[in-house]
Amino acid sequence: MNLSRLRKLKYALPLAVVVMALTATATTAKPTAAGTPIKIAILSDCKGAFAAFYGADVGGAIQAFVEQTGAKVKDKSNPIKGMTGGTISGHPIKLVGIGCSNDSADLAISETKRLMEKLGADILIGPLSGDESIAVAKYAKAHPKKTFVNGTAGALDTTMIVRAPNFFRWNGDGAQWDAGTGWVAYNVLGWRKVNVIMDDYSFGWTSAAGFIAEFCALGGEVTKRVFPPLNTTDYSQYVAQLDPPNATDGYFWAVGGTGTLSSLKAFEQKYGNMNSKQHMGNLFFGTPGTFTELGLRIAGSYAGGGGTAADVPSAALDKFKALTAKTWSALPPLKGPATATGVGNLFFVNYYVNATGLIKGLKAVKGDISGGQKALQKKLATTTVTDPNGYTLKLDSNRQGIADTFVQQLFDNNGTLGIKTIYKVVGVPQSFGGVFAPNKPPPGETVPACVKGNVPWKVTKVG
Amino acid sequence: MPVALSYRRHLGWGVTLAAFAFGLVWVVFLADRPAHSDPTAFFSTLLDAITQGALYFVVASGFTLVFGLMRVVNMAHGSLYLVAAYVAIDVQRRIITGNPDTTVSSTQVSVINWFVVLLVAALVAGLLGLVMQQAFLRWNQGQDLRQALITIAISVIVADQVVVHTGGGVAEDMSFPGRINQFVDLHVKGFSYSGARLFILGLALFIGLALWLWLKRTRTGMVIRAGVDDRAMVAALGVNIQRVFAIAFFVGSMLAGIGAVIGTSQTAVSNGTDGIWLLNSLVVVIIGGMGSLAGAAVGSMLYGLIGTFSAAYLPAGNTQYAVIFTFVLLAIVLAVRPYGIFGRPA
Amino acid sequence: MSDVRAIERTIAAVALALAALAPVLFSTYTVDQLLTQVLIFGIVAMSLIFLASYGGMVSLAQTALFGIAGFVFGNMTTVDTKGLTLGYSPWAGIIPAILIATAIGLVFGGLASRSTGIYFLMITLTYGVIANLSFGQIERISGFGGISGIVPPSIIGTTDQHPHRLYYLALVIAVLLYALVRFVIRTNFGLSLQGVRDEPVRMSSLGYGIALHRTLAFTFGAFMASIAGVLFVWWNGHVDPQTIGLGATLNVLIIAVIGGLRRIEGAFVGALAFVFINDRLAETDFSVAGFKLGTFNSLIGLIFLAIVLVSPDGLLGIWERAMTLLKQRQPAAAAAAGD
Repeated sequence: MNLSRLRKLKYALPLAVVVMALTATATTAKPTAAGTPIKIAILSDCKGAFAAFYGADVGGAIQAFVEQTGAKVKDKSNPIKGMTGGTISGHPIKLVGIGCSNDSADLAISETKRLMEKLGADILIGPLSGDESIAVAKYAKAHPKKTFVNGTAGALDTTMIVRAPNFFRWNGDGAQWDAGTGWVAYNVLGWRKVNVIMDDYSFGWTSAAGFIAEFCALGGEVTKRVFPPLNTTDYSQYVAQLDPPNATDGYFWAVGGTGTLSSLKAFEQKYGNMNSKQHMGNLFFGTPGTFTELGLRIAGSYAGGGGTAADVPSAALDKFKALTAKTWSALPPLKGPATATGVGNLFFVNYYVNATGLIKGLKAVKGDISGGQKALQKKLATTTVTDPNGYTLKLDSNRQGIADTFVQQLFDNNGTLGIKTIYKVVGVPQSFGGVFAPNKPPPGETVPACVKGNVPWKVTKVG
Repeated sequence: MPVALSYRRHLGWGVTLAAFAFGLVWVVFLADRPAHSDPTAFFSTLLDAITQGALYFVVASGFTLVFGLMRVVNMAHGSLYLVAAYVAIDVQRRIITGNPDTTVSSTQVSVINWFVVLLVAALVAGLLGLVMQQAFLRWNQGQDLRQALITIAISVIVADQVVVHTGGGVAEDMSFPGRINQFVDLHVKGFSYSGARLFILGLALFIGLALWLWLKRTRTGMVIRAGVDDRAMVAALGVNIQRVFAIAFFVGSMLAGIGAVIGTSQTAVSNGTDGIWLLNSLVVVIIGGMGSLAGAAVGSMLYGLIGTFSAAYLPAGNTQYAVIFTFVLLAIVLAVRPYGIFGRPA
Repeated sequence: MSDVRAIERTIAAVALALAALAPVLFSTYTVDQLLTQVLIFGIVAMSLIFLASYGGMVSLAQTALFGIAGFVFGNMTTVDTKGLTLGYSPWAGIIPAILIATAIGLVFGGLASRSTGIYFLMITLTYGVIANLSFGQIERISGFGGISGIVPPSIIGTTDQHPHRLYYLALVIAVLLYALVRFVIRTNFGLSLQGVRDEPVRMSSLGYGIALHRTLAFTFGAFMASIAGVLFVWWNGHVDPQTIGLGATLNVLIIAVIGGLRRIEGAFVGALAFVFINDRLAETDFSVAGFKLGTFNSLIGLIFLAIVLVSPDGLLGIWERAMTLLKQRQPAAAAAAGD
């Protein structure tokens, strides 16, 4: 008995050594072999005024992952189905959830909480709209250990006022998008006196502010500002507050979403058929899928951009078109092929641009988001992104991109309304050369005031 | 008791008259563009108010008809408007361009075209309403709250279905016929006004007259009026009350459809439009009184006047408070006549 | 019947115990996000059910009053956001928020007090929509973007600073308000209110002020809703017009009806069902072979419709009917066994 046990012992010792060695190598090997997943969430609007762009938003973000991390889409005709695969330095990318908001900050916050706290996302890409982004940026400020990059929101306050150190936005805000419009109004159309009509909420004010700041800096005068509230159906009283067409040079429209059509109709009912040389709009005049509703009467008027143009040829644009064609066949609910509805659509492009910035930062830190993501956030602040038009977007000290934008013109394309890009503006800072600053009031009903000043960028003709 | 009652009533009327007088003085003398110095603007605003009220009347008359006769608060009235609007847009586009995605401009629309679309949308709305009534509301007559909850549930489902099947909240619209979408010279101090808005007023007057004749001069109308007064008695008298209810619900829903075509040609439609038109119908009926056509007319006019004049004549930068005036109007009416101007307790 | 009551009391005790131990039993997200929401919206629904069940008034203005309290608190205690930005400390905002919302409830109730039934429902819905439009359009007190960056008093803290404290506060307040409602309905006022609900003409001839009773009941409902409103902005940190939009108003009604419009407890049953279903299905894509059937709203609308058609007293009504059925079978079984 004792002998057999002793005999067994002689095998036990080497066995134990082998086991211990394996255990030792296994525990040291873990961090390098199987990387911890990076959990991403995307937040956009699937209800409300911008629900039509849900697929484009999510598709834009996923496209960046497909291009740069080796991810694969689950369904080429439905971005909402998500993506799989994709790694950064051995860390797998996990899309844990896609949030659905409705253009209101309330739902955006509850979706953000669901994505970040219930589903445990590390990083959020989104949201879509201005007021949502202000609320999300404030949430970000209260949760410094997670990182947030913008979707396509264009409110100025998000980066200039809230200034969360972990919220990054490479795309321009609504004011930056309208750079160039004031210049066109003053120099090309010869306007000196202008009426501005804008939605009475933050995006309307911000967008109009971009026009007003530039136009007034050049020496123009904004004689009237009218603010129809957001849910107006009968715009007749608001257009009645405008000067009649023979008493002013032009009108700038920053009325969007569901009001663009109604307000223009109300204008014609009050003052007769529009003379398109007297009207200019912000990006709502030119958003793909919606501007055709305006009808041919508006052909000839200029429209502010959203920082992207599908008809300005460049190598970068060709590359982006090919990428889009390869990644997506359609971006529902928008109808048509993805190359037509996505390329040049600021919703699609901005989500792509911000996701690209995120991925570049993640790659630079080799996918290491430990330590409260501090290394990642430090890297992101200095990350640059080349947008689909070939322009390099840098972040300023508020983690806000210094943008490029385009001014477009509507024209009669054989019976339907078409749009073409005429002017390009690069190097537009969020401050507009000092007009906007953290210690100054954000755009509002009377802000900015109409004062002469410097325009720190150049507007050039395209092509 | 009698002293206190008449005191309260006199106070109510006193406040109302004072408010009206103050409003008049403000508009004529104290506003930024006072009426005495800019009568054209005043006249234009007045016409805007009346034409807007006319549109409210078309939709609200359907709502009050159903409410008055069957005590059904049809919370899906706005949903009927919404569905009819989208159907009308689709039909107009198909008729004129053959393609449901191409917009249509006024120059392409003839008066006949537009009325055909109107007819189609009205029938669709009427049928939907009828189906809803027969399926869900016929067997629980008298259970007001339950019926209201049922129509609320339907409105929630319909609103969601519209969101899902119309691709988001992008606004879409229809066009008025080119012939009426022009300026009409009113021969008063060279003042021209939008023909489209006058057309709306004309349509509303015609519909109001047609409804009045129907209610006052036809047998069905007589039964409906009797039913508004005393439902139980009408049933006891052996009238086929179910048939009358069905007809009334059909007509009421049709009116929502007619209003939808007019409203969508005038402005646009999007996903929240059903809530807005439900509110409009509610306000008109609360002011005017349930079951009363005259009440719907007066309520619509008052609502249109308040909404339009407050937006036009409040000081610049303060037009945001216009919605408060609607509430003030409601408050005054509720304080002085809780059942509406022409309403009676159930 | 006392058996049923005993069973219900046991269930309630168990539920309360589970609620007290929730942070130990469930995840932080479930406790701080979902269960807190259940409590807050349960209180609002409870105010609606109180008015409906004991006052005979179905009010769709409870959400608006809840929001008004939140907006007042937000306006008073925030700085770098929209609204009045008065910048007072959170403690100073509590009383004005509750007071102003209750006062507005008094006005609303007074104006609507002479209307009954369906008419009352219409009027209160109009209040709700006008409140929504007012906060949406009047920039000085909110505007479309609403007020964000609202913080609770530091002793409560946000869910990051002191997890679960707000949850426990909401739980305690919900229990206290429930007890308060149970107490009020047994007072003279509560009894005469139920009399006014059932026989207004008779009560009036006995000298009771109908309008007065209704107004006071409505004010009490507003008081409860306003407390929930303050808790809400502490929880959410943000309030905007959508918080009191038509959708939100109908959601509270749906919660009350699903739970059961006749019993106060239905508020929390309904809120539990609604919040958890909403959370579970938030990202579900209701599509069949590529054809989109709808979103969560269609589903909840269908559930709501089914409940109204089949069991107007909601889930609690189904429970009561089940209990009654069981009891009816028991005597027969006992009789059979006895033989």
